[in-house]
Amino acid sequence: MDRLIAYDRLAREDRFVRMRARDVGELKIAQGLPPFPGLATHEQMRDRVHGILVGELQAMEGAGRTVFDFPDAPWEFTMDIARQVWDESRHVEIYLGLLDHLGGYVGEYPETTILWRCACAEDAAARVAGVNRGLEGLACDVFNQLVHIARKLGDPILERSVDFVLADEITHVRMGSRWLNELTRGDADRRRKAIEFQDSIDERFNLAGSRQDGEHELVAISIAKDARRLAGFTDEEIERLVKSTQRSQVY
Amino acid sequence: MRILGGWIALTPELPVKLLFGRHVWDCAQHADLWGKRLPELREPAQQSEPANERVVAFMDLIENCQTPAATAERVTGIYRVVKPHLAAVYARHLADANAIYEPPTRRILQRCLDEERRHVAAGRMIVERFAADSAWRARGADWEQRLLAALGAAGGIAGAGGTDRDFTAPPSAATESSPWHPARDVVALGSAFRPDVVPAELAERIEAHGRALLAGDRAALAQDVEAEARAAVDATYVDLRGPWERARVVACARIGAYRVLKLALEGVAGRTMLQLRWRPVDGAWRIAAADVVPS
Repeated sequence: MDRLIAYDRLAREDRFVRMRARDVGELKIAQGLPPFPGLATHEQMRDRVHGILVGELQAMEGAGRTVFDFPDAPWEFTMDIARQVWDESRHVEIYLGLLDHLGGYVGEYPETTILWRCACAEDAAARVAGVNRGLEGLACDVFNQLVHIARKLGDPILERSVDFVLADEITHVRMGSRWLNELTRGDADRRRKAIEFQDSIDERFNLAGSRQDGEHELVAISIAKDARRLAGFTDEEIERLVKSTQRSQVY
Repeated sequence: MRILGGWIALTPELPVKLLFGRHVWDCAQHADLWGKRLPELREPAQQSEPANERVVAFMDLIENCQTPAATAERVTGIYRVVKPHLAAVYARHLADANAIYEPPTRRILQRCLDEERRHVAAGRMIVERFAADSAWRARGADWEQRLLAALGAAGGIAGAGGTDRDFTAPPSAATESSPWHPARDVVALGSAFRPDVVPAELAERIEAHGRALLAGDRAALAQDVEAEARAAVDATYVDLRGPWERARVVACARIGAYRVLKLALEGVAGRTMLQLRWRPVDGAWRIAAADVVPS
């Protein structure tokens, strides 16, 4: 089997509609809709849950590729990522259930592949920095906010399901921090590149200012400072992320 | 473990993807248990080597099924050949291992045996569902014979035996509520596209559009397209290569008022997938964009 496969080899059932993120965003903006679905209406909630479902699917696929692509990586690294594959597969099952709970269906919204592309980095250290710290950090923000909104809406199914997934994401970020350090020990250049990759992902997923340091009800994605601390992000890293959201204006 | 992990992204079918995802972690734990046992038997930890070159060839044969259409071969290779064979090897080793001298090995064997049998049982559910398609079943059967021949040439996975396979049901299969029940590993098995998610008026429109595509009726096709998009859509349609015998909707996504539909054009010449972006204009559904996308 080929290692480090091309982005476009990501296989899907026919019922998934794949589009470029930019095209989806432009079509939404042209209709007066926010490019990243909010949480104000049932429809927006379903759109967001569908987006998370697809994200979990791509996370599972990306972690699976990491197990395969790096046979010479430390065995404990492989074990951690193999565990993550299982976690992500369970998350997909959970979000399939939540989509059903919200009256949606698989393929109801287009799939974009930005997450998958991030998971295809050629260096294992870049993958854990970009995926485990960048994207799973984003997941901490999104899920923490979703738990809060679900609680407010009085939806215990949504609240509890997402809370359990959040716990896993926090673990994945911790794993990412550990392996970023261990894989780049004694190699400052490799570490710098991995962190730059994570920064570029953080910047991209600020989503034109959608992610902000603010109240759950007032911003599209609120930065989950407490969850991020639990996951091992330092106060300095969190502050740097907050600052990056203030200058991110390009979708 | 590594093969399953690598295949997840290359496999289109959601239940199969998720089955592989479930089993990667179990396989990793099995490898870890054996790898940790090795130094207790005066060998280096976490280092393995194949029994012979033919075992390598056998595993390469399995691993190289990487096209999207090769799901029958992937599932057959793992759940009809490798795992049942591993279960048979474990069962035999367990029967032979001395109960006084080798409890550490026997415990690992018992765990791996139970879990491989669970995997095989879960895989059987997938096979039964997909093998309802006769072409899928035939490809799986052919591949199984080819793999068994390669496995036999290798002397089995351990290099000194046959191609025995064990399809015994795992103990957990008897208790439906068990977290180890094989069905826990099978997700979204009956899940498929439901045509009724397409709004009724759009469904009528796209059905007529599909008929026009099959007939090559460019005038009728143009009527469904917004005026400003006609040249681009026509250019896409001109490049299509039929003939096709049927057109069917296989996906429907929404972006605000837009509906993005995938129309599969199928026939003896093959299959082409069109992705059509529709929106309501003055009370009628019109195409705003059309693209050929991978099928």
